[in-house]
Amino acid sequence: MDTQQKLQQAFSDALGIPPEKVIDGLTYNTIPEWDSTAHMVLIAELENVFDVMLDTDDIIDMSSVAQAKLILQKYDVSFA
Amino acid sequence: MLSNKPVNHFSLSAYQVELLPMAQTHQDLLRNWRNQDEIRRQMLSDEPISEEQQQAWFKKTQLDPKQLHWVIKFRDQFIGATNVKSLENGNTVEQTSLLEPGLYIGERRYQGNIIAFAPTLAMYDFCFDQLGTKRFRAVVKRSNQNALSYNQKLGYAIVDDEELMVLELDVESYRQATAPIKQFLSRTRNAK
Repeated sequence: MDTQQKLQQAFSDALGIPPEKVIDGLTYNTIPEWDSTAHMVLIAELENVFDVMLDTDDIIDMSSVAQAKLILQKYDVSFA
Repeated sequence: MLSNKPVNHFSLSAYQVELLPMAQTHQDLLRNWRNQDEIRRQMLSDEPISEEQQQAWFKKTQLDPKQLHWVIKFRDQFIGATNVKSLENGNTVEQTSLLEPGLYIGERRYQGNIIAFAPTLAMYDFCFDQLGTKRFRAVVKRSNQNALSYNQKLGYAIVDDEELMVLELDVESYRQATAPIKQFLSRTRNAK
């Protein structure tokens, strides 16, 4: 499983949505499944899957799938 | 009875935000936010506010010991406003056991963002821990599902399920419900 697939699966597991719904344009608070509670589950899942510890600024700024990729790249996770 | 000097001298800082006592210099910004359609629609009184009304409201409010108002600062930018009001006749905010909270996030990019919990957490911690508040009571339009959901995540329980819904929160429910979100908002910044 490559990093893109891992990201997709992490979002899918945390939010309880099908992997095919995990696209770059998917944005926080625009679907019922991605509310503040799910956001915390998502952060924990991403930290577990990619073995990183996100700082608070990044937790606040992680407002879309595309943004998640940009932030994870700061933690040396590559989506090439 | 009104005080002869501004009553809010509490500056709060927690969960990445600062709450600063509302001042004259904030009034234009507050009125612009308050008059945004999407904010006005969720208010119990939803008429647009004129500059004169805003000034009259501020002059009275800053001297009223039954309410405390703050502006919210995040990353060196004002993003919204929050307040508490005493719901007990004759008792000030510092004397009452029951408070009604108010909040709006005026900056669109932070509406619905997880940071919108931070000012409430900072204010509730202060009220429960420093002022000795026992309960909060929130009144929300049934149509305002975002506010209902927001309050329930803070631990509020519905006590009156009418068109105007009444929700209440005690300190134990608050602490239990907010422990995870506090943990996420309390991490150090730039930790990597």
